[in-house]
Amino acid sequence: MDKVTKTIIRYEWASFVRNKFQLLLLAIIFLFGMYAIYYGTSVVEEQQKTIADVQIIEEDEFHQYQVSFDEELNSVDAKRKRDIASDPSYAWFRHGYHAVLPPHKYAALAIGQRDLHPYYHRLTGMSLYYQLFENEIANPVKLYVGNFDLSFVLIYLLPLLIIAFTFGLYSIEKESGVLALLRIQSISIRKIIAIRLLFYFMLITGFALLISLIGLLVSGNMFADENLLAALLWLVGVILYSAFWFGLMFLIISFFKSSAFNAICAAGCWLLFLLVIPAILNVWMTTKFPVDTIHLAELTRRTGLENENDEKERAEVLSEFLKYNPQYKGSDSLFHNNEYAKVYAAFTTLKDSHSKKDVDAYSQLISKRNQWVNQFLWINPAVNMQDAFALISKTDLNTFLNYQFALTTFHKKITSFYFEKLFWDKPITQEDYSKRPIFKMKENDQRWNMVLYSFLKIVIITFLFGIMGFKKMKKVTN
Amino acid sequence: MKTSIRIAKKEIKIALREKLVLALSCIILVLLGISLYTGAIAYQQQQEAITKAQKEKREEWLGQGDKHPHIAAHFGTFIFKPKTVLSLFDFGLDTYTGTSVYLEAHYQHQFMFRPAQDHSSMIRFGELSAALVLQILMPLLIIFLAYASFTREKERGTLRLLSSQGITLTSIAWGKIMAYFIILLVILVPFVLGILLLSYLLKTPDTITDLGIRIVLLGAAYMAYIFMFIVLSVLVSLKSSISRNALLTLLTCWILFTIIIPKTVANLGESLYPLPSMKIYKEAILKDKKDGLDGKTPRAVRMAQLEKELLTKYKVDSVQQLPFNFDGVKMQAGEEYGDKVYDVHWGRLLDLFNKQNKLGSYASLLNPYIALRNISMGFSATDLNTSVDFQKKVENYRRVFIKKMNDDMAQNSKYGEFYEYSVGLDMWKSVEDFEYNTPSIYATLKKYTLELTSLFCWTVVLILLLNYITRKTKPTNG
Repeated sequence: MDKVTKTIIRYEWASFVRNKFQLLLLAIIFLFGMYAIYYGTSVVEEQQKTIADVQIIEEDEFHQYQVSFDEELNSVDAKRKRDIASDPSYAWFRHGYHAVLPPHKYAALAIGQRDLHPYYHRLTGMSLYYQLFENEIANPVKLYVGNFDLSFVLIYLLPLLIIAFTFGLYSIEKESGVLALLRIQSISIRKIIAIRLLFYFMLITGFALLISLIGLLVSGNMFADENLLAALLWLVGVILYSAFWFGLMFLIISFFKSSAFNAICAAGCWLLFLLVIPAILNVWMTTKFPVDTIHLAELTRRTGLENENDEKERAEVLSEFLKYNPQYKGSDSLFHNNEYAKVYAAFTTLKDSHSKKDVDAYSQLISKRNQWVNQFLWINPAVNMQDAFALISKTDLNTFLNYQFALTTFHKKITSFYFEKLFWDKPITQEDYSKRPIFKMKENDQRWNMVLYSFLKIVIITFLFGIMGFKKMKKVTN
Repeated sequence: MKTSIRIAKKEIKIALREKLVLALSCIILVLLGISLYTGAIAYQQQQEAITKAQKEKREEWLGQGDKHPHIAAHFGTFIFKPKTVLSLFDFGLDTYTGTSVYLEAHYQHQFMFRPAQDHSSMIRFGELSAALVLQILMPLLIIFLAYASFTREKERGTLRLLSSQGITLTSIAWGKIMAYFIILLVILVPFVLGILLLSYLLKTPDTITDLGIRIVLLGAAYMAYIFMFIVLSVLVSLKSSISRNALLTLLTCWILFTIIIPKTVANLGESLYPLPSMKIYKEAILKDKKDGLDGKTPRAVRMAQLEKELLTKYKVDSVQQLPFNFDGVKMQAGEEYGDKVYDVHWGRLLDLFNKQNKLGSYASLLNPYIALRNISMGFSATDLNTSVDFQKKVENYRRVFIKKMNDDMAQNSKYGEFYEYSVGLDMWKSVEDFEYNTPSIYATLKKYTLELTSLFCWTVVLILLLNYITRKTKPTNG
């Protein structure tokens, strides 16, 4: 570092420390950051509490079933309990399993869509789609306004900080008459601007990293295996996003216009990236790919056979069921024992098979339209960054689509566990309880690649702005 | 007055020369155009889909064949939330409230499918609607138009020249305000024409019955907002020494008003009044239905009481001797108790929502943006009040239709018979189709007294302040 650079940095530091307004701004944003971290962790804690409650409810339920095997059958109530625990014709639709999508530790920093999508489901062997579409309770006004989490502070407020610190880097010197003094120095104006921008880049990025670090440490153990990569990527993301805004400010400054022009220009860009472009894309997507959930509503209707006593209808249902589930074909008891329960089980399973096409088409449409809109992220680093943060903290749409998919698999496991018993007329024994189906969800193995890809887009745009600014400045100063 | 008009004329001329103002006006006009266009398409798509689905569901209900009325009560029907024609102007909460609900006996199902669930987290950046443009972008245009209104005169020394001619600051200020207001009104002319054209083209039957007065009130509220923002900008410019400071102050206000405060308030509401989770909420309802609201009168006791009461009243010794089917009466009694329990819990939930949102209403006294946002949603019938009103009316419809089924069962079927009894088309026809009308504008106005007061006070106080300050201040060159 040469002497001139050092001098510039020293003076910049001195003027920064003296500027009460800037210090106040930093303090305010810092407080906002702390509040955001507090708010995010409280939301996630609330969700974890709910998950714990839900799990207790499930444990209680199954505990009751299990103890009923050891109880004397000397009352109607005890007998009923035992029946529910051991007779598959009750158990298949009574036993409730909870599938849970636990929040990633860093969901507290980027709540994303977590407040909107249900993150636990109680499933029985009944029709899956009857149980799938329930919403979590939420205040629509709150959903509309959105979450004050760390990702909001970084994506919305950090750029404002950058704008406030840098919009007058050149023009204020000019307006206050210092520029003429600088011009007679041996060092070029371009270099002075570059050094000062770099100074503020270090300062503000360091500040943002500090807030992020606090967040990463408060909401989870940063150094735990499952968090480390996420935490590192988060920090890299912060640096890149900050660099992008500095690149943009560099470009704006390189026009050498008045500070008011710079401020308006920068505010305009901020508005464009954070409001106008996403707002247009959202409505464009909605009108280009309209989603018809009205059609899906029908799936939640609780239906039964037209007439349970109609032998012909029952036989029809069972034979169609066997077409989809040939594994039960060998059961000669199918049409003899306990037929009503079997027919009803077959009926709701068939209902799922019939509506599978519609539900799949729906999820495909959601994926498709979001893929379509993702191609525009190239031009919008802000949304791109939000997406990356959501990916890192597993609060993105894809996570929820995967979860829905895992629910389908889980439901299949549940039904085969009970149908195996029901259709072969076997009771559920105490030992069977240890073989109960468990919910598992496949990790999105593309997750890190997707994050890196988002980063790449930001890097390219930042370079583009940087080079444009550099060229422009060269032209003007020469 | 005459001088004010002359000043206004000059200001308009100058504004027309400003490229930035012209460009921004064009952008706003284009965005308004896009928003109306996409709003109209979304409205039509949604309206068509809902009308079609509602017709289908009605046909399903009528064509369900002969069956026991209680089976029909479980077959139930679906209701879909219609969009109001004003939603093409202000989407309000439509993206975040559920759209379909299944109505059946015993259960109050929740509304399913919030459109926001079909989006990635980009939806949280907002959707382009005319209301968004007018509430958020319009103030920005006003700021750009007016931030230098006085500071430029000060910087160029023309303010002194003006006052040396005997022109008061008050008349200068009003001249400028008039000019900006006229400019904005002219910009809005094509937009208003577009709205009128649309309302002529979209002559579908709508749920809003008092459309005319709502449009007039919306217009008045937005005018007040725009006017208020102009006065504010001029006032800040008057009090600032240089343009840069005026601009920065106004931009800070704008960001606080439109982005930071609304989000903070909504999040604070959520922290202060946490909502229960759906699972816990439903579990509590089930428990109260089972054990009684006081926790001491379980279902069996309630039913035994009912039986005893009826036996004494009709002076008979067994339920078989009652002049109606006791099962039907029991069914209805159970239904009504369930409704009572539901009302208690739902009431509590709504109370929490109201408390959370009340915070926003209070904040609107300090923040005119929140005031206008709430009023605009309210007048467009896309707010929470309308949504709750809709849910209440749907639930009432469910109760009436279930009661009809139970009463028929009590009056016309025999005790102990179920599959033997059935009713048909005449019965289904006697259940009227559901029709929804939004609450009257007067009911809506009552809900928004705080917001209306806020908008009124902001306007009046700013005007008084401007007059006071312009009289007190001596024109200087800053």
